[in-house]
Amino acid sequence: MSLTPATMRRLMRELTELRNSPPEGIRVVTSEDNMLDVTGIIEGPEGTPYAGGYFRVRFKFSEEFPAAPPKCWFATKIFHPNVSSAGEICVNTLKKDWKSTYGIGHILVTVKCLLIYPNPESALDEEAGKLLLEDYESYCSRAKLITSVHATPRTRPPEFDIPASSSEASTSIAAASPAISLPPQPITLPVPSSLSSPRKSTSPSPPSQPLQESASNTLPSSLSSSSLSGKDGKDRVTSPSPLGTADSNVAGPANTSAAAAAAATKAVKRSAAPGTGLEKRKKALKRL
Amino acid sequence: MTDTSNLAAKMDVDEAAIDEGLYSRQLYVLGHEAMKKMAASNVLIVGLQGLGAEIAKNVCLAGVKSVTLYDPEPVTIQDLSTQYFLRESDVGQSRAEATLPRLAELNAYVPVRLLKGLTGQEISVELIQGFQAIVLCGVSYAKQLEINDWTHANGVHFIAAETRGLFGSAFTDFGPKFTCVDPTGEQPLSGIIASIDKDKDGLVTCLDETRHGLEDGDFVTFTEVQGMEELNGCKPRKVVVRGPYTFEIGDTSNLGDYTRGGIFTQVKMPKIIEFKSLRESLTSPEFFMTDFAKFDRPATLHAGFQALSRFKSQFGRLPRPRNAEDAASLVTLAKKIDADADEKTVTALAYQATGDLAPVAAVIGGFVAQEVLKACSAKFHPMVQHLYFDSLESLPSTTPTEQDCQPIGSRYDGQIAVFGKAFQDKIANHRQFLVGSGAIGCEMLKNWSMMGLATGPDAMIHVTDLDTIEKSNLNRQFLFRAKDLGKFKSEVAAAAVAEMNPALKGHILCKQEPVGQGTESVFDDAFFASIDGVTNALDNVAARLYMDQRCILYEKPLLESGTMGTKGNMQVVIPHLTESYASSQDPPEKQTLSCTVKNFPNAITHTIEWSRQEFDAMFVKPVESVNQYLSEPNYLENSLKYSGQQHDHVEQIVSYLVTNKPLTFEECIVWARLQFEEKFSNAIKQLLRSLPKDSLTSTGQPFWSGPKRAPDPLVFNSNDFTHLSFIIAAANLHAFNYGLRGETDPAIFKKVADSVIVPEFSPKSGVKIQVNENEPVAQSTSDPDDISGLVKQLPSPSSLAGYRLTPVEFEKDDDTNHHIDFITAASNLRAMNYNIPIADRHSTKQIAGKIIPAIATTTALIVGLVCLELYKIIDGKNKLEEYKNGFINLALPFFGFSEPIAAKKNKYGTTEWTLWDRFEFKNDPTLKEFIAWFKSTHNLEISMVSQGVSMLWSSFVGKKKSDERLPMKFSKLVEHVSKKPIPPHTTHLLVEIMASDEDDEDVEVPFIIVRI
Repeated sequence: MSLTPATMRRLMRELTELRNSPPEGIRVVTSEDNMLDVTGIIEGPEGTPYAGGYFRVRFKFSEEFPAAPPKCWFATKIFHPNVSSAGEICVNTLKKDWKSTYGIGHILVTVKCLLIYPNPESALDEEAGKLLLEDYESYCSRAKLITSVHATPRTRPPEFDIPASSSEASTSIAAASPAISLPPQPITLPVPSSLSSPRKSTSPSPPSQPLQESASNTLPSSLSSSSLSGKDGKDRVTSPSPLGTADSNVAGPANTSAAAAAAATKAVKRSAAPGTGLEKRKKALKRL
Repeated sequence: MTDTSNLAAKMDVDEAAIDEGLYSRQLYVLGHEAMKKMAASNVLIVGLQGLGAEIAKNVCLAGVKSVTLYDPEPVTIQDLSTQYFLRESDVGQSRAEATLPRLAELNAYVPVRLLKGLTGQEISVELIQGFQAIVLCGVSYAKQLEINDWTHANGVHFIAAETRGLFGSAFTDFGPKFTCVDPTGEQPLSGIIASIDKDKDGLVTCLDETRHGLEDGDFVTFTEVQGMEELNGCKPRKVVVRGPYTFEIGDTSNLGDYTRGGIFTQVKMPKIIEFKSLRESLTSPEFFMTDFAKFDRPATLHAGFQALSRFKSQFGRLPRPRNAEDAASLVTLAKKIDADADEKTVTALAYQATGDLAPVAAVIGGFVAQEVLKACSAKFHPMVQHLYFDSLESLPSTTPTEQDCQPIGSRYDGQIAVFGKAFQDKIANHRQFLVGSGAIGCEMLKNWSMMGLATGPDAMIHVTDLDTIEKSNLNRQFLFRAKDLGKFKSEVAAAAVAEMNPALKGHILCKQEPVGQGTESVFDDAFFASIDGVTNALDNVAARLYMDQRCILYEKPLLESGTMGTKGNMQVVIPHLTESYASSQDPPEKQTLSCTVKNFPNAITHTIEWSRQEFDAMFVKPVESVNQYLSEPNYLENSLKYSGQQHDHVEQIVSYLVTNKPLTFEECIVWARLQFEEKFSNAIKQLLRSLPKDSLTSTGQPFWSGPKRAPDPLVFNSNDFTHLSFIIAAANLHAFNYGLRGETDPAIFKKVADSVIVPEFSPKSGVKIQVNENEPVAQSTSDPDDISGLVKQLPSPSSLAGYRLTPVEFEKDDDTNHHIDFITAASNLRAMNYNIPIADRHSTKQIAGKIIPAIATTTALIVGLVCLELYKIIDGKNKLEEYKNGFINLALPFFGFSEPIAAKKNKYGTTEWTLWDRFEFKNDPTLKEFIAWFKSTHNLEISMVSQGVSMLWSSFVGKKKSDERLPMKFSKLVEHVSKKPIPPHTTHLLVEIMASDEDDEDVEVPFIIVRI
């Protein structure tokens, strides 16, 4: 395994940048003795069934990087149409649309996008794909269930104690609670430079069925516009407050407590998480 | 391959089957059709000096019905400049007779015959009856005309070729009407259609914005079109390209209404080529360009080579080396033929007329041999009609004197005539490191031995190759024979070329070490100090990149080359001048989306990739897991860390070690039968249950459309060849895992497979997690209780002490191991699921085994070009424009040369630097000294320091770590962070930094060598 010095320098640069100003809801962990041992942590975006979860995405770089994409897979179990049970991710960016200028951050942001805009047309998990197409509620509750069981730690990963680039202005305590620190449009995608057309980069679907269309059918239309207020009344992907209201028995207490006692976030989370999980499970099981 | 004479006799018939083991890599270039036609062709080669021998070698390796040699002239010592089949002891014998036995060893399927003649007897029309292709090497134009007049009239393919010093020429005449069946050698294009207009000029639009890649004048046909069904299987329709995603196919207005679907496939149309006879062509020549930077040269050389022929008949000899008088005579003769002939070029031709260079023979010989194969097989576009080539740039910067170029009665006289004796000595003292001794390596060593490289008293060629010789190598790695199978390539190759030129005995050092970090104690500072340059003869990008880095570090020139089928390229890397190999890499092949492979295949490549993955998933990974469970303490506990997959993982171990462990081979057959049901029936049913055929997408279109083909489950039928092949291969591989003896009698498999009671398909509940529903969820992120049930089923490793399963190690070239059989059967069964046209074993093997097609002709040519650059490196040329990178494609044919790209200039402060620059520290400084030095000397603020993959220090590392590390010497620091000792042979560390200048701007700086 030998990457060229230029490639190592480039990785070093990117790892530093990701550490100093990570994209919203994304952190990268590496080890000193092996910088190539890279794990990304994606915070489940609010308003998606993955909210509250922290998903680890592992990277493996080949000698041909960056000419060839790194191997990349979920190490955390997730119920998602584009992720297989072994964690493989079906996304063009990691295969045919790969460009040597892409880096770790771009991949993680793309994968985060995929959590917001799942694409049933290129399903790796056909069960999830089917549900997303036919029965959004069931898809959602099942995904929430898996998230709560497999991806929701008792305490938030410490990496998230460092603020993201977009919330650098806020204090570290405020940033520690993502639901609160989020700006008014919580799902604004960070790193705009690498995401000039996020939908295209996440969508392996043919242009005749562009993703924004399918997204507007399966997800609230607000998602495809820049306004994410959840005005269509559905509470799937919305700003923190509607989510809190509509789903108050689930997410409400945790968020409120966190807001009220920001200094004690971790403790609150710890106590809130089981309740959240149970509630979600009950709801999910009712539907099953 | 053991009984050579018998085999040869047996194979000398038209219906001979093709030995796929031997010809494997070449078959992927030429195909079975072309090789069958070649197997019916008798080839005559006239003139067995270096060029003739090179052509004969390549044609013999490729495989034709027979090769016949004609050259009754006696061997001279000068012939040994390039004729590697001759030895000093052959001097005086007839060239053809002396060459024949060594040539005949190359390919047991190709009988090599002697056409007898008397010394001084030229070839004549009477002698050339019964051949399909005739090659004349170094024959006078008068004779060429006589022979060509007859061949042109009698449907015999004619090629004439000649090399003079750094010049070469070739002429082809395949008759007035030659049909070429495949003018490009490219795979026919195909693509999925989105729509076809019903129109006077019917417009076809491709799906998914995928480029169709067609060109005007190409032909296509269609399958699976719905609505406009008349197009399916239609006669090839001519294409007019309208855009990258659209093309017209002529009038479609009276066809049905297009509804949906359809695939277009390119149809290769034969091309008729009208060759002129040599007589006609000499006055109105059509030139094939070898170098677009030498636009006027073909016309001059066209006159020059004819003039040489006249000179020879007039004076009874060729112009003497660097003799001004003879050169003037030649110029006069040339000007009579073409008044515009360039004087300088003709003079150079005269100077070098007695020159004979192995690299030029390799270039022209490789090229002409492919033309012979084109003539015999009609595969690939022939060269039309005159080729002239030169590499005058290879001449030394200091022109040799006439005196220096006189023959000295040595085997190097051919080279001395061009470069002079002084330069010959330079060649003899040049020391190269050849990395790889495969196809490129063999050709390289052959040329080097002819050149006399490293034959000087202190010079040495170093060769390393970890591979041993396999059967499929023998088709082009011509230094190897059947008797060498299993031996180390580097050793056999070195011995073979030392026999070609005994002066090399004791001047080649062979190793079997791969190049890489693990062998830096072998290829260390002292080693690199003892060589002048590196020549890559590698077959993988990783090793190329590694050698590139080593050459940068040690500032050694690097010659890099590679081939793929009829395509080849070569690159020169010169320290402090050109960019390096890594600077501009070809993009690797685009990968297929995992969901396409897993659920939505639409091409055979997808099903083959799936099948290759299944191979690992059935016969490798679970078996390795079982062994790890049995051998590694706490394996399960450690594997549990990978949350999300541990359940499947343990389940698999239980299945392979307990529930499905076979005790007899019969149980393996049962297992295989159930696997068939699982993979080709149940999995498809499950998918269709989730996504029924009438599913709609979110936009209301049919889900199963466009690139998504709706699958159908298979019903097992033991009478179906593919079904039974799967059972046979899978059962045998399963048995291999458990050390059970296999079977091959199909009757047994049929009987057992038909008797298996197969459980009804029951749809899987999608929610594995439900198993766990009574557990309080939040307790943990994994499901230890769930697993524990499974774990209880496992016997403890200690109860099975010493017991291990045997994982299968994928080997594509063993036809008895069932590997490719399994992959072919599984891929084809899946193709049947999805109604994709199936592929035969041969094509499946190429894709699954990622086999790079290869043929000796391309390699010979590319290596010839590499050696022409080596002359320049030996000369020490230091201007960019003096070197050349090259790209060729023999199928078109095409030559392209370009000046190497200059190393990119970077800048920090006011200092310009390239990839060749570096900082160097001696005496193992401390980190603190290191950082301070950059600050004080270059005003650079360091924010991060790394070595290899270890991050040694960064500005955000924290005060405690910083305080600990800053006083450490580098050697200590590296060991501290990497947690590994530095190997004892290490003398230096390569360090990278991130730094910013006084304006706090991030700047790129060179790499750093820290001597320890």
